[in-house]
Amino acid sequence: MERPSFLGLLLITPALIMIGALFLYPLGFSLAAAFTEPGGGLSLMHFQKAYELYSTDILFTLFIVVVSTLLTGLFSIIIAGILTLSETPWLIVALRNLYRWPLFIPFIVAAQCMRTFLAKNGLMNNSFVALGLMEPIQTTSFLDWRGIIITFVWKQVPFVTLMLAGAMASIDRATIEAGRNLGASRVRVLIELVLPQVAQTLLVGLVLSFVTMLSVLSVPMMVAGSQPTMLTVDMAFRINSYGDYATANALGVISYLMAGTVAWIYLRHNVKREVQA
Amino acid sequence: MSGKSPSSPMSAALDLSGGQPSVPHVSMKSGKVWTFGSTALKIAGLAVFAFLLFGPLANLALWSVAERWYTPFKLPVSYGLRYWEVVFRPTGDAMSSLATSVTIACLTVLVALAVSIPSGYALARLRLPWRTALMILFLLPQAFPSVAIYINVARVFYSIGLSGTITGVVLVHAAHGLVYSVWIAAAAFAAVDRDLELAARNIGASPLRTFFTVTLPLAAPGIMASAIFVFLESLDEFTGTFFVGVPQVTTLPLLLYNASMGGNYQIASITALILLVPSVVFMIVIERFLKADVLSKVGQ
Amino acid sequence: MRNCLMTAGLAAFLMTNAASAQTLNVATAGDQNMVDYVKDYLGPMFEKSHPGVKVVAVGTGPGDGGSQKIFEKLDAQKKAGVNSDFDVVVIHQKAAGTMAQDGLIQKYRDALPTGSLVTRDTATNALGTDVTGYVMPMFHSQTAIAYNPDLVKNPPSTYAELRDWAKQNPKQFGYNGIKGGMSGVAFVTGWVSAFGGDAAKLEKGPYDAATKATWDKAMADLKAFNQSVVITPGNAGTLDMLNRGEIAMGPVWVDMFYTWKADGKLPPNMRLKLVSPGMPGQPMYYAIPAKTAQEKLAAEFVALATSPDVQAEGIVKRFNWYPGIDAKNLEGKLDQAAWNQLFADIPPDALAANGKPFPIGPYFNDILETYEKKVAN
Repeated sequence: MERPSFLGLLLITPALIMIGALFLYPLGFSLAAAFTEPGGGLSLMHFQKAYELYSTDILFTLFIVVVSTLLTGLFSIIIAGILTLSETPWLIVALRNLYRWPLFIPFIVAAQCMRTFLAKNGLMNNSFVALGLMEPIQTTSFLDWRGIIITFVWKQVPFVTLMLAGAMASIDRATIEAGRNLGASRVRVLIELVLPQVAQTLLVGLVLSFVTMLSVLSVPMMVAGSQPTMLTVDMAFRINSYGDYATANALGVISYLMAGTVAWIYLRHNVKREVQA
Repeated sequence: MSGKSPSSPMSAALDLSGGQPSVPHVSMKSGKVWTFGSTALKIAGLAVFAFLLFGPLANLALWSVAERWYTPFKLPVSYGLRYWEVVFRPTGDAMSSLATSVTIACLTVLVALAVSIPSGYALARLRLPWRTALMILFLLPQAFPSVAIYINVARVFYSIGLSGTITGVVLVHAAHGLVYSVWIAAAAFAAVDRDLELAARNIGASPLRTFFTVTLPLAAPGIMASAIFVFLESLDEFTGTFFVGVPQVTTLPLLLYNASMGGNYQIASITALILLVPSVVFMIVIERFLKADVLSKVGQ
Repeated sequence: MRNCLMTAGLAAFLMTNAASAQTLNVATAGDQNMVDYVKDYLGPMFEKSHPGVKVVAVGTGPGDGGSQKIFEKLDAQKKAGVNSDFDVVVIHQKAAGTMAQDGLIQKYRDALPTGSLVTRDTATNALGTDVTGYVMPMFHSQTAIAYNPDLVKNPPSTYAELRDWAKQNPKQFGYNGIKGGMSGVAFVTGWVSAFGGDAAKLEKGPYDAATKATWDKAMADLKAFNQSVVITPGNAGTLDMLNRGEIAMGPVWVDMFYTWKADGKLPPNMRLKLVSPGMPGQPMYYAIPAKTAQEKLAAEFVALATSPDVQAEGIVKRFNWYPGIDAKNLEGKLDQAAWNQLFADIPPDALAANGKPFPIGPYFNDILETYEKKVAN
């Protein structure tokens, strides 16, 4: 190992200080606060309270984020697949120009859009009724867990598709040609030839999406009612109404565990790949 | 959705170039019908896709011009621009929130760049111990659900008096955006051709001069892209500001949230449209700045 | 170029001028209409009578959460020993009680010219805590059940009838639980008063921690009730769903109801009903933090806000609240039509019979916590 550059360390110090003070310290603080009882010892009492009050919400959060991630993956694969394998040029161009639009729309704007779009009398239901696809009596409000999932998927699909399409564009076209020449359908080529080569990128995108969805406060607050709701809303409620940092931090640790599990799955897959290679 | 595939291995075998719509050569008539049917399917699929994509946005536009709207009417009872006037009046909330948001975003970009340009250069050019670990360290804020972090940051800020101040909010935004700015800066610097720097040094320029006259200008497009990214993230940021900035600092997303929760959908929609403008502009412009070689080096 | 410089100089001059003026910071908990009240009505009025003073209003959010934010801020600044950021605060009853006990707000009512205009219980008693002298009521508000007469031909008159109606008409009733707004909280405490046993004890005390256990059946009923209702995002959420015909009935604040109707955000045919044995109402309080730089100005602001003219014109006429000071002081200031409008759906005798205060502080907290444990989870 050559001698490390002192100047380099110096240059990187401000960034390190920032991360340390504004991320690592609060992170440690939250872990400590979640596990410390008022007397000063270690205890799980805050987790117990969090479980007593919010066990439904914990499961609800897990359910929503997992389903949203899987749906995001599915739609991204479909769209990226079409972009790579379709043989209709105008379709590719049209799709490419269309899918990116939600990418830079902030979550809060998306939440506001969906709140009026998905309501029982919202634009979506009204359009369906106007087109004759539905009877007015059948309209239902999507402003519950389905609305949250729809919003998340709407927002995250362009992101993951962008990564996937880029990865698919950079794989060797010859493999696709070979598969097609041998008579495989495009769907088969997608699943058996292209996907394994871009699995890495797909996983990164999905893991990032998973963590992002666990961090969003605006969407569950604005789109769904308050029962059941996602953990972020409960944390905000605990802080804003009661100043109850202990329980809020306990909920925070639970959300870390969820993110950590997914990250661990990703790392394990990585290691397996390295070992196989 | 790609709803068609070659109807038999033989037609696939005939389809050697792979770039034309594959038409079974069985009969021209059924081939034409097949193509027409699949084209119609594709157009229908695209239409549905466009509806799902733009419908929610169209909704925003509709609400922004609705003045009175109550059940059982499917469309606004009366249209008008009254709420635009409410939003844009000089004493109104929106103008001051917009100013606050833009100020915070600019300051965030300054702080992020000031911190990440040296770091990016160090990561790209200089030998650092535990380089990979450091890169991952900058990724961590994006890897942890951030609400719990913000809660505790807000609490710490309370005790040092930074809660409810613009400084506090800028710090939170900058820390959140560090991963983009450091990673992209490192990639941008790595993409600069070393030979050019060596040439400058050979002619006799000092390292500092080389940096400012050769390296930085060449890395500038990538750094500009990261700056714009950080700007947008700060402009749209809601959760951190919700905990650290309330109640004195009101950014545009907070205004949107308050208006929406208060049932003021017209104001919320207009505010949302204002927030959309920078994002759309950025998307159109991004092609210019983020070149392929910079993108390929991100994450190395 | 010269024009540009001159404009810049003028702007700089104006800015420094504004900065050197006095600023009165008003922090208000509650929905947006509370912030608008100060921003659009009270603030400009005060600035006109006090040239050189600028009124800055910030909202901290609806429900007790908004008051909690103000409490935390005052508490933090008291511990640090500095002047508080806010000169006037508008808070809910629960927070007022805690703040008075912790010495975060000061006594000012006795010295106030309008202090004697209010004799109601609510000026001295905030959910069981004595707050004499610390607060002036800004207004009195009341919750009631709003309903659409086209969809609901025979509105229920009691909680029991409401429960049965919701069972027969699933997903047609909506309220916001206990998060996001006090209208839902009011509904829940009203439910506990109706079905949980001793309503008078909840209102007056004394506090007995064992009472919690007697609410088990009521809470179980509420959980079953929740299966057939819609949970909305907040005060405005309920009103919004009523507006769009997604629910036919829900608890709302009377003032928000009338304001929304006037703004065209509610169909003109919607009506109100105050169900028995009672639904809570609450005052919002003006309070002045213990240590603030603008004590005198703050007191003058509150005096203006509680003067009969402002109460008549601003509170009743413009924003549809019941006045904070005694109603008899408004005689002559308000035309009969505006006064009748306020009592159109809920006549004074119904208000007197079924308009209740919230339970006292400790019971209030117990109800909320039991709800979270037994009903929401």
